[in-house]
Parts: sequence; structure tokens; C-alpha cells
Amino acid sequence: MGDHILTLIIFLPLFAAVVMGVFRVETKVLKIGSFLSSAVTLLLVLWLTVHFDPHGGMQFVKDLPWIQNTGIRYYLGVDFLSLTVLILITLLMPPLYLYMKHEERKGYWYNMLLLQTGVTGAVLSLDLVLFYLFWETMLLPIFIMIGKYGNGMHRYNAMKILLITILGSMSMLFSILYLGYMYFETTGVWSFALQDLSHLVFNAQTSILLAAGFLLAFVIKIPLVGFHTWMAPAYGSAPTPAVVIMSSIMAKLGVYGIWRFGFGLFETTLIYYAPFIIILALIGLLYYAIRAITEENLRKMFAYSSGSHLSLIALGLILTNIYAWSGSLYLIATHALASAGMFIMIGLTYKRFKTVQISELGGIASKAPLFTFFFAFFALSIAGLPGTGGFVAELLIIIGAFKTNFWIGFFTATTMLAAMVYVFWMLQRTLFGPDNSSVEFKDLNLREMIMLFPLVFMLLLTGIAPSLFTPMFEPQLSAYLQAVLDAIGGL
Amino acid sequence: MFSQFLYALPMAIVVIGAFVLMLLSNSRMTLSRLNFIAVFFLMLSLIVQFFTWGEKESTYLFENIFGSSFILDDFAAIFDFMFTIGAMLTLLINNEYFKSRRYFSGEYFSLILFSVFGMMMLSHSHELLTAFIGLEIASLNIYALVGYHKTRKVSTEAMMKYIVLGSMTGAFYLLGTALIYAAVGSTSFSTIAAYVHGTDLQNINILIIGATFIMVTILFKIGAVPFHSWVLDVYHGAPYPITMFMASIFKIAIFAIALRLYIVMFSPVNSFWTEILQVVTIMTLIGGSWLAINQTLVKRMLASSSIVHSGYLLIAISSIGLDSDIAAPAVMFYLIAYFLSAVGSFGILSFIATKQKKQMTYDDFKGFAQRRPYMAIMMSIFMLSLAGFPSTIGFLGKFYIFTAAIESGQLLLAGLGILTAFISVYYYFKLIAMMYFYESNEPQRKFPIRISTVLIVIISLIVIWGGIGTSLIPYVPGADGFIDIARQAIGSLK
Repeated sequence: MGDHILTLIIFLPLFAAVVMGVFRVETKVLKIGSFLSSAVTLLLVLWLTVHFDPHGGMQFVKDLPWIQNTGIRYYLGVDFLSLTVLILITLLMPPLYLYMKHEERKGYWYNMLLLQTGVTGAVLSLDLVLFYLFWETMLLPIFIMIGKYGNGMHRYNAMKILLITILGSMSMLFSILYLGYMYFETTGVWSFALQDLSHLVFNAQTSILLAAGFLLAFVIKIPLVGFHTWMAPAYGSAPTPAVVIMSSIMAKLGVYGIWRFGFGLFETTLIYYAPFIIILALIGLLYYAIRAITEENLRKMFAYSSGSHLSLIALGLILTNIYAWSGSLYLIATHALASAGMFIMIGLTYKRFKTVQISELGGIASKAPLFTFFFAFFALSIAGLPGTGGFVAELLIIIGAFKTNFWIGFFTATTMLAAMVYVFWMLQRTLFGPDNSSVEFKDLNLREMIMLFPLVFMLLLTGIAPSLFTPMFEPQLSAYLQAVLDAIGGL
Repeated sequence: MFSQFLYALPMAIVVIGAFVLMLLSNSRMTLSRLNFIAVFFLMLSLIVQFFTWGEKESTYLFENIFGSSFILDDFAAIFDFMFTIGAMLTLLINNEYFKSRRYFSGEYFSLILFSVFGMMMLSHSHELLTAFIGLEIASLNIYALVGYHKTRKVSTEAMMKYIVLGSMTGAFYLLGTALIYAAVGSTSFSTIAAYVHGTDLQNINILIIGATFIMVTILFKIGAVPFHSWVLDVYHGAPYPITMFMASIFKIAIFAIALRLYIVMFSPVNSFWTEILQVVTIMTLIGGSWLAINQTLVKRMLASSSIVHSGYLLIAISSIGLDSDIAAPAVMFYLIAYFLSAVGSFGILSFIATKQKKQMTYDDFKGFAQRRPYMAIMMSIFMLSLAGFPSTIGFLGKFYIFTAAIESGQLLLAGLGILTAFISVYYYFKLIAMMYFYESNEPQRKFPIRISTVLIVIISLIVIWGGIGTSLIPYVPGADGFIDIARQAIGSLK
């Protein structure tokens, strides 16, 4: 089981999709099949987590030749970083399928299955070409879902997200090819495996250009300020499951990319980019917060909110000290859970009111207490309510920021306060206040509660008992950090 | 002697088939029966090729009769495979289309077979004049095929454009041959190669001028940008089957002779053309992309995108001159990849065109996914492959091309190639967007199981398999196997 488990985790959803597609099953069967596949992957990931050795480095490695002529390998492995994202992906899928229960359009389900394979594969692959394959593949379902099932200017926005993201990945492809060739030039053997390529040494200028190729792809995916023009339109017109995946998983993959490939390949060069990223991230924190405050559309508001949190994660990442790194990793997890919950709540709001404009909402609290509770809970955990995981993570990043530089810490802390404003103001306008709508409002039903419960549970658990999780990632995280610090000779 | 006959058989069968079909063309046979006769001959030729594959060790065909005019090697054999398979696919996929159009008559099949014969001759030729005759046999038939719809103005205009410009570049070729003959005193490739290898490069200016003229012909035929003005109109004016035939198979034939010329004959002076080729490549990539973005007809978009694909191939061709080891196999692989994707996408277009008589614009594809879900999936696969999206064979094709460019130090060209690949995402995905993003008023149609549709399904599976397939299964070439075949073919040249 241990040998092929990663392959199984990646391809089970795709396999399910292909089988169900070939046999042209009924929508009902399709729903059950998709849910089962996600449940089985969740079980597999649980098994993986239990057998995961926190001190072990890269584990469950699967290394097979794929295209031997150019040394492309089918190379998978899992460590603390990929495990975190992997758990998030598999944890979010079943609730999403529950959310989609009344979705009758088949393409929706197939796309979700394909999407899961894409994002899981990207997290687990350690060969750059394999990574590129999954990185592109996960874009396809998002493209179709926004364009076909979205709202507003969805076709235009689908094309926009596609083109901007592919521009990033193409620049990454160039860097990948160049790295592979340089490896061939120095050793006489082709390889695109991360651990082989990380030994390459370049002169500063080449390295800066190559790193730029990778960073462009990741920075667009995150997105940092300046690369964010696709974000709000795409989030605004995407259907809820796609938004959840985009904000909770795909954006995190951008950070994951910097962490894994940026630090894995270009430790020293990232120092060159660090000031830019720090400045962009700090601007981002403020800019996104202001945009979120002024935004009337709930989806877009939390798109900006998501952008601001990802800027924070990127900031923590680039600061390279243990607090900031732990905080970033923790925030990846908790923000994924919280924003997934929040976007699901927004989706539920849309289902009930057919609108997500704040001005048309209001007075929900008096009619639907359960709904109000969950809505407020997720909004507040995004804002970093003490007791939820987000608080711990943000605290760690701020400590890390102060440790690096007083002013970075100062700006991080203050801009984060600005970020609080929109959450509270939004809550006040949507949940309380006068009732603007004549729609009869149904409270959450059992299915909806069940799908939200795991998210709430995990958020509380990460917030109240962080010590449960730290041993899982701490040893590898500090080892990785130490390796990076050694390479750059201390900062 | 017998084995020589066996090796000559594939070409002989095709040309015999062409004559038989010509005789049968005025009989009362139905078009589909004639079609199957043509396919039968091609199949026969394919079977013979299959059994003699790998046995030929670069020998000359009937050396005492033809001298060194024809060569038998794996390189030519691979191209023969592609021509015959491509012609068969063209005939079979378009079987319904022929029946739906009045203007098709019996000669059509004969013309196709003659032109396949010309291409095979081109890939086997080891002498400049033989190559010219092969090229002209192929071209003349294609001129006739382009103007096949006699009463349609666009078609006739396309033929006129093509025939005038094509003949003129043919003259360039002859002039080049004459100059080379003046310098070397022979038109045989081996003599010329020996002369080029043995002479001081300062003293072969005439030969270089001659070879440049030949290059002009080649660049014209593949539609590289300063010589591209015919491409859109000709591809647009020709009936779908012919466009498919030209875009996929004829282009491959031109690259067959180009590779042979630049790897065998002119390898020492290749670097002379590097700058010219680089400039042409840059213009081809940018110009082709510019044309492709602006098209509204899908057929014209595919035509202009075929210019861009020529540009990618030219990147690799100029890398050959800069001593890149993987450039030549990369060209072969890319040709296979492009061949599959182009045949598939044109096949689907002609499948749709069978039912309706109008030209297909992007807008006509609105809601296509709902009307014909399976066709839409396959069209998407071909578009992804043409755009070079990973997990399709097109990605690996581009992967090898760009790696070759980086290997030869042409970083800017590789970067430009990747940029145009990015631009191509726009016009290919636009079609996918049209198919999937719009609702259709018409009900879903059943997937018709015919030879043509089944073949398209198979091609789309190969496109996927070529991108992700493993070589673990014996006898089935995966993603790895195709490039091995390409390497073997190139290896047989040297």
C-alpha cells in the first residue's frame, strides 16, 4: 500500500471520472461516485498522515522513469509542506461535494474530479516537468467552470484568468527547460528532478532571470499586488466550488511553489527578490484591505481578503525565520479552511437570496440563527479571532516580522488591523440591520451543517491546541529552514 | 535483386493504384467504392512497408539503373509511413464529405495517390533533380486538388494563386540546382556533400547561392512568413479534405527534403544560414500569430496557425545548424505531433461541414459541446495539443523544440517560441470556450459510429497517449517511443 499510495491519491478522482464518463452514468450515480472517491482519498490521506514520520524528510517516494530520453521522471514524494496542502485538498473535497448535492449539470462534477487530480498532482510531484503538467492541468477545469457555470461576465473572465495564468506558467516552462539543459550540460545526463537541479550553480544574473520565470508563475497564482488583475473578476464570476478551490488551494499552491521550488532551487537568489516581495506584500496587505472595505460584492470582498492573507503568507515565507515560516505554514492551513467556509457561506447566501450584494442583504440574524453563527464564525476566523487557528498563525508571522525588522513588523501589524475593519463592517451590514429582502429565509439544514462542521472543528482545533500540530511539521520545517539559511549564509 | 523489388514495392503500389483509379474514374463505381480501392492500395503499400521496416541500411534503389537517385533508409521509411497513413486517414475520415459534395468525381482519388507517390519520391530522393520531380508531382496534383471545386470562385482563385506562386518558386529551385551543378558538376547528394566537406568554405559561394535558392522554395512551401501570402487563401479555398491533406501531409514532405538537405548535404555550411533562418523564424512566429488572432473562420485560423507551427519547426531547423543533437529528432517528433493534431482537427471540421454547406466561424461552434459532447471533447484535445498544453503530444513536441533551441544557445528564439505558444493559447482556447461556454438550442445528437468518427477517436487517444504514455507496454510506442523512432530515423541519415 505504501508504495503506490501517492499515485492512488492523485489519480483516483480522475479514474473515477473516466470510468463514470465512459459508462455515461446517471447524474445520481455520478454524485455518489464523486463523493465516494473524495471520501476514499480522504481515508488514504489519513492513512498517510498516520504513517508519516515527522522527522523523515521526503517520504513515500515513487521514482519511475517516464520519458527516459530527456530524463523526465514520474517522481512523487511527500513532506511536511506537501502533506499540509494535501490534507487541505482532501479535507475540502467532501464538503464541497455535499454543497453541490443539488447540482444536476454533469460537467460540473467531472470538472471537480479533474481539478482534484490536478491540484493533488501539483503538490506531490518532485519532477519539474511533471509538476508543470499538473500545474497546467488544474487550470483547465477552472477555465471551464468559470466560463460555463459562472455568472456575470464569466466568459470574458475565464479567458482572462486563463491567459494571465498561462503567461506565468510559460515563463516557468522556459526556466524549467533551461535548468534541465544546464544540468545536462554540466553532468551529461538529462534530469528535471528537483533534487538534482537544486545542485546546479549559476552566476548571479542567470539565476536572477531563471528565478524570475518561476516567481512570475507563482506570484500570479497567489496573486501579489500588481499581478492581481484577474483575481476579483474571476472570483466574482466563478461558481462557489471553483472559488473555494481557487482561494483555498490554488492560491496556496503559488506559495507552495515559492516554498518548494523557489527556495529549493534559488535560495540565494530569493534574497535579491526579497525586498520586492516584502514591499509588494506590505502594499498588498493594505491595498487589498482597502479594496475589501469598499467592495459591495461579498465574493469579491473575500477575494480581496484572500489576496491580503496570501500576501501575509508570502511575507512570512520570504522573511526566513522560524516564527514567520511556522506562521506561514499555519496560515496556509487555517486560511484555507476559513476561506473555504466563508465562500461556502457566501454560496449559500446566493442560493437563498440570488444576490451577494451587501446592500441587498441584511437582518439575517433575526431569522436564521444557525446561519448567522456559521457565517460570523468563518468571517471572524478569517479576521483572526483568538481561539481560531488564524490568530495563532498571524501572531507568529507578526513576531517573525518584528524579529527581522521593526518597521516590517510595525507595518504588518497595523495593516492587519485595517484588515479587521471590513469583516466587522460587513457582518454588521449583512447579518444585522434592517431586513432588505422579502425572500423567505431558510436556516441551515442538516446537510449544510454536516458539511460545515469539519471546517469549524479543524479551525477551533488549530486555534485552541496548536501544540497538536506543531510536532507534525516542526522538525522538518526547522531542518528545511536551516538548510536554506546555511545556503544563503544567514540573513 | 528481389529484395530491391520488395523495397521499391511501396512506391510502385501507390503509383499502380493511381493508374488503376484513373482508369476506373469514369466507370459507374460509386465514390465510396473508389475511395476504398484507393485505401486498399495505400493499405497494401503500408503492409509492405511494415514488413520491410528496419531492414534497409541506406542502400540505393536499383543502383545500376538509377544510380544514386533513390535511397532507402529508415528516414525515408518513417516519412513513407506518415504519407500513407496520412493519405488513408484523409480518405477515410472524409468519406462522408465526398458524398455530400457534388463536385467530387473519380479522379480525385487518383490525384491523391499520385501526390502521395510524389511525396514518397521526395523523401527517397538522393539527387536534386529527382527531388524536384517528386516535389512537382506532389505539387501539381495538389494544385489540381485545391481548385477541385471548379464552379466556386474562391477555390479557383486559390488554385491560381498557388499555381502561379508555386511554379515560380519551382523555378527558383531549378536555378539553385543549376548553380549547384555549375559548382560541383553533379546533382547527386553524396557528391555534393563530399564536395562541401572537402572544399574550403571560402570558395563555394556559387553553391551557397544555389542552396539559398533551394531554401527559398522550401520556405515557400512550408509557408514561412515572407513567402506566406498564399497560405490563408489557398487553405481557405480548398475543400476540407485537401486542406487537411496539405496542412498535415504535404508540409511533412517538405520537411523531409529539408532535413535531408540540411543534415546530409549542407551540414558544414549550415551555420551560414543561421541568421537568415533566425530572422525568417522570428517573422514567421510573429506574423503567423498575428494572422491567427484576427481570423473569424476556424479554417483560416488553423491555416494561419499552421504558419506558426512552421515557425516552431524552423527554430529547430536553425538549431541543427548550431550543432544541437536533439534538434533533428525534435523536428521529426514535432512533425508527428502536428500531423496527428492537424489531421484530427481538420477531420472534425470536415465532419461538421458534411452536414452544412456554410463556412464555419467561431460563432458556429457555440454550444457545440452540448450538441455533440464527444466530438467537442476530441476537438478540445486537438486544440490543447496544438496549443502545446501538457499531457498531450503537442506539449512534448514543443518541449523538444524549445530544449533544442536552448541547447543551441538560441535563448531568445526559445523565449519567442514560448511567447507565441502563449499567444496561441488564446486562439485555440477561444474555440474551446465557444464550444463549452454557450448553451445550445438544439438537442444533443447521438455519436455516429462510422469509420471516420472512430478514426478521429483513435487519433485523439494517440494524441493523449503520445503525451503521457509509458513505454512499459511492449510494441506500443509511448511518449518515449515516438522520439526513439525519430532518433532512429535521423540516425540512419548520417
